[in-house]
Amino acid sequence: MLWYKAWMETRARFLFSLCGMVALPSYYVYHEAQGVEKFARLDWYYHSLHTGHGLIAAMWVAAVIFLMMGGLLREKAVGASSFTLALPVTRTSLMRVRILCGVCQAMALAVVPWMAMFLVSRATGMATSIYQAVFHVVLLAGGGLVFLALALLVSSVVEGEYTAPAVSFGILFVDAIVLDTRSFGAFSPWGFIVGSEYFDRKTQLLLGSIPWVHLTVSILLAALLSGIAIKAVQRQEF
Amino acid sequence: MSDVPAIETNRLSKFYGRVEAVHGLTLSVGRNRLTGFLGRNGAGKSTTIKMLLGMVRPTSGEGTVLGKRIDDPSESVELRRDVAYLSEDKRLYGYMTVEQTIRFTSSFYRDWRKEKADSLLRKFELPPGRKVKLLSKGMRTKLALLLALSRQPSLLILDERSEGLDPIGVEQLLECLVAQSSEGTSVFFSSHQIEEVERIADQVCIVDQGRLLLDLSMDEIRESYRQIDLVFPFEPRQLEFDLPGVVNVRTEGYQMRVFSSGNTDEIIERARTHQATSVEVAPLGLRDVFLGTVRDGSNALV
Repeated sequence: MLWYKAWMETRARFLFSLCGMVALPSYYVYHEAQGVEKFARLDWYYHSLHTGHGLIAAMWVAAVIFLMMGGLLREKAVGASSFTLALPVTRTSLMRVRILCGVCQAMALAVVPWMAMFLVSRATGMATSIYQAVFHVVLLAGGGLVFLALALLVSSVVEGEYTAPAVSFGILFVDAIVLDTRSFGAFSPWGFIVGSEYFDRKTQLLLGSIPWVHLTVSILLAALLSGIAIKAVQRQEF
Repeated sequence: MSDVPAIETNRLSKFYGRVEAVHGLTLSVGRNRLTGFLGRNGAGKSTTIKMLLGMVRPTSGEGTVLGKRIDDPSESVELRRDVAYLSEDKRLYGYMTVEQTIRFTSSFYRDWRKEKADSLLRKFELPPGRKVKLLSKGMRTKLALLLALSRQPSLLILDERSEGLDPIGVEQLLECLVAQSSEGTSVFFSSHQIEEVERIADQVCIVDQGRLLLDLSMDEIRESYRQIDLVFPFEPRQLEFDLPGVVNVRTEGYQMRVFSSGNTDEIIERARTHQATSVEVAPLGLRDVFLGTVRDGSNALV
């Protein structure tokens, strides 16, 4: 039933995010499709999808930060942590379920909006490439786990009902300023999930094969941050 | 197994930084008893309860609940299966409805009694479909009580149990606690409502500044504790009454008030030796015992 709790806690935020993320990029692609005849260029189709991906990525990062703003410290802030901690479960179990629920929701938020955008694109007669779609989704879902784990860690160490998402957005802002420069571009999680490194401006496509090594590093970094968050929660006393 | 105390601590201490919240607490709470846990705000009651439930780690000392060690994470999970706990703030998940909260909580316990939960739901007049965040403070307390009382736990721990309840709610609660106790559940409750404790408790523990000052049965308190008012023809000296059983002494002019935990006859004899012109002995209620013990904790007897 910890799954039930994790779902109930995040359900509203998840469904709200999902609706927004399905609607906005799909509408954008649909809107672009209306004017595409004027240009009738293949790269225009892909440009629309890539821009739609940028929209999904921005909304996805915001959504996972909001999804991860729960947890024991937030419950402490609203006074419900004693009830949770009196249940016959360990803090580790609580964290595991929270992480797995968050990961499942984050995956759904990456896949479903892209599927919707892809289907709208196909329905409106625009060019589509399954490989490009999968490439984009893998970058987002795999590389984006760093943001999810970061939000998890912040919510596990920063107290206050809304302090954790505020701090997470602050870190995101710093990341956008510091790491999104040319010198550090290769280390930018944001640059990675929008595919900056692999994006070809001429064709508007992501070139090359899916960067499994970079993805693995991102996932390991996310796992490390999650592990630190679990340790932090295990050590807390309240 | 039933010989094992419900709660047993040995020199249990907790420091928060340099602040000592609980100081060498040695406590034994028997099975099938209603034990009141009294103390001022900040006396260490909630910290003690949180240590018992594994939410806070003791700095030193040891303790068991139902024979399971409180500092062992796996035993702590096991003991929580047999313990029902009602926390001080009684906050639940605002995003769940009353019904969802009951369903969620029931899934963790083998001893959940659906009929009891349904009966309490009707008795407390809780709306099953309403979100917890929309409940009044009193209703929230009733829901928290329902979750704790709908089981057949070996031990029920309540931290400030009647907060937010109206007088009828308090009566219902006290009835439920007595009924739960009669069904074999040990009840350990902290409270500031001394009259309620006096009505239902079999045993009383008083703590102050993290130290246990008193641990006696209500019968012992009723039999032993006395307030002795004395009048002398001159200003009496307190030192003359430094006798066993004297908890504290107050003088005002020719009058003296002795608060004793026993040895009343010898105190009266001493008063007569010192030419007391008036001696009045009155039994003490729990409120007086609490105030007398906590005000002069250093002289109190355990």
